[in-house]
Amino acid sequence: MASFRMVLFKRCMNAFITILLIMALNFALFRIMPGNPAELMQRTPYASDYLIWRNIERMGLNDSLPVQFVEYYKDTFTGDWGISYFWETPVIEVLGSAISWTILLVGISTILIFVIGMALGKLSAQRRGKAPDIVITGFGLFFYGMPVFWFALVLMVIFVGNLHLLPSAGYMESGVPVFPLTVDKLADIGVHMILPLTTLVVGSVAGVVLLMRNSLVDVLTEDYIVTAYAKGLSERQVMKKHASLNARLPIVTTLAMDTAFILGGVFQVEVIFTYKGIGWYTINAIENQDYPMLQFIFFIGGVAVVIANLLADLVLVRLDPRVKIT
Amino acid sequence: MGRFERWISGGFRRLFSFNPVLADRLALSGKSLGKIIDLFLATWMGKSGTMIIVAFLAFALGADLFLPYDPSESSSEILEDVSWDHWFGTDQRGRDVFTRTAHGTTASLIIGFVAMAISMILGTVVGLASGYWGGWRDEVIMRVNDVFLSIPWLVLMIVIASIWGSRDLFSIIVVIGITGWSTTARIVRAQVLSIKERQFVERAKAIGSGEWHIIRKHIFPNVVPLIFANAILTVAIAILSESTLSFLGLGPQDVDTWGRILDEANNYSAAIAGPYAFIIMPGLCIVFVILGFTFIGYAMDEVLNPKLRRR
Repeated sequence: MASFRMVLFKRCMNAFITILLIMALNFALFRIMPGNPAELMQRTPYASDYLIWRNIERMGLNDSLPVQFVEYYKDTFTGDWGISYFWETPVIEVLGSAISWTILLVGISTILIFVIGMALGKLSAQRRGKAPDIVITGFGLFFYGMPVFWFALVLMVIFVGNLHLLPSAGYMESGVPVFPLTVDKLADIGVHMILPLTTLVVGSVAGVVLLMRNSLVDVLTEDYIVTAYAKGLSERQVMKKHASLNARLPIVTTLAMDTAFILGGVFQVEVIFTYKGIGWYTINAIENQDYPMLQFIFFIGGVAVVIANLLADLVLVRLDPRVKIT
Repeated sequence: MGRFERWISGGFRRLFSFNPVLADRLALSGKSLGKIIDLFLATWMGKSGTMIIVAFLAFALGADLFLPYDPSESSSEILEDVSWDHWFGTDQRGRDVFTRTAHGTTASLIIGFVAMAISMILGTVVGLASGYWGGWRDEVIMRVNDVFLSIPWLVLMIVIASIWGSRDLFSIIVVIGITGWSTTARIVRAQVLSIKERQFVERAKAIGSGEWHIIRKHIFPNVVPLIFANAILTVAIAILSESTLSFLGLGPQDVDTWGRILDEANNYSAAIAGPYAFIIMPGLCIVFVILGFTFIGYAMDEVLNPKLRRR
């Protein structure tokens, strides 16, 4: 269909505009708040005069607002994201490796959430009203509104405080360089990831389970399912070929919308387990009033979610020919 | 309580009795409130949700009346485990955690409802405007809305709260309120788009009704059932947001909240060294309050919007 290109173009344009607006908000936030940036910088406990001077220079605070605005866009697109007050190195260098650890955590947990959520939701819908359904929806509802940080603490109480089974902090044994990778190091990284991953997956899987269940229950009442059964197909075939394919569609959208929430969860998990990804550095930046870091994290977080939503939209257009341009 | 309830019921009577389309959709007659409540309480979610929230209201009110301790009174019995004297143990300054938790209930409920009100008002106004106007104004509003939907809520709140500087109850409520309106705006806009094409709106236009009149008398009443269920869910989200912010040390500094208790528990590594009740009990309160509001929200949604697919 010829309109696929149009959809692609429109969605990309919207995503791009959203990113531009996020940048505008980012620019405004750090300027309209009480006290001008120069004063804010003076308040920061760690920044040296030289760094403050360089950042003031970079932000062009001596220029007029419109000039600053244009400069800000230029800097952002050319990769000049400022210098961290606390670490005294460019923001991107501080966060470079942190980003990869966060992406690792988000990536694995998203895949697990998707797979486990679909499987449990399917089971629940198939056995609707019976024991498995009641147990699964019950747990789903219970975990749905659970604060991520609290669940992390409970896991810590159980596995670190009482059973002494798992490490409580870090992404690997400290003091060891990551590269070159060995099997031992991989195992170590894996062990350190168990608690953060469990927290994230259990915390977010509930929403997917409930959605998959409801979506599948809806689909199962459709006429074409009755037809499929009437043709003599087995339950497995109907589920696989007819029902789950269609029930999957809303999950894609929701999972993308949830990226923002998963990111929020990742932040909390990283803080509790001292997992030095973006979230840990965010809290660190707040404590030290490290504004260049905060600004960059704000930007990158928004961009990540926009891209996730864009991908979901495109996947959806591919999966479901009925989706129209809106 | 009584006034609030009467206000809501009065609002509902007015809305439903003069709205044939809605009454028709709900298959209800003019005096519908009783039926709505009956339907609502007939769902198990409505029943258990209401019970949970009533229990917490009692917990909050009872805190001032019955508990022997002062929530801010320190003592030498620090970080003690659960006992008959201290049901949830004591904290790092020897304060009774049960008393603190009970008093924290009020703060959580206030934050939940006020932040919800801010989000709802913003979201409804924006959604109505965007849906009713359409065209370029709709496009602009929706792009701005996208921005708020895309920025991870936690990051936005963290940034605003940390730049804002002042961390009292009011500013935290505002932060939570202004970060939570975008979903409501979306829902309202979608509903407005479908309603404004209906015949009764055309008819109102044809007999020369003004824009304001149409929005107020014809469109808004049809949006209310949607936002009503959404509002209850927003209370839950606001309470969750507050506890997360407080846990990260960005919550209100002038009131004691559950998130703050948990933050202190974490700072004194109660998760590893105990007392575990210091962590478990305030957290369980958060979980159950959220569960209660979620149940009520879902039950409301089912009763008020029977044909809509649950989100």
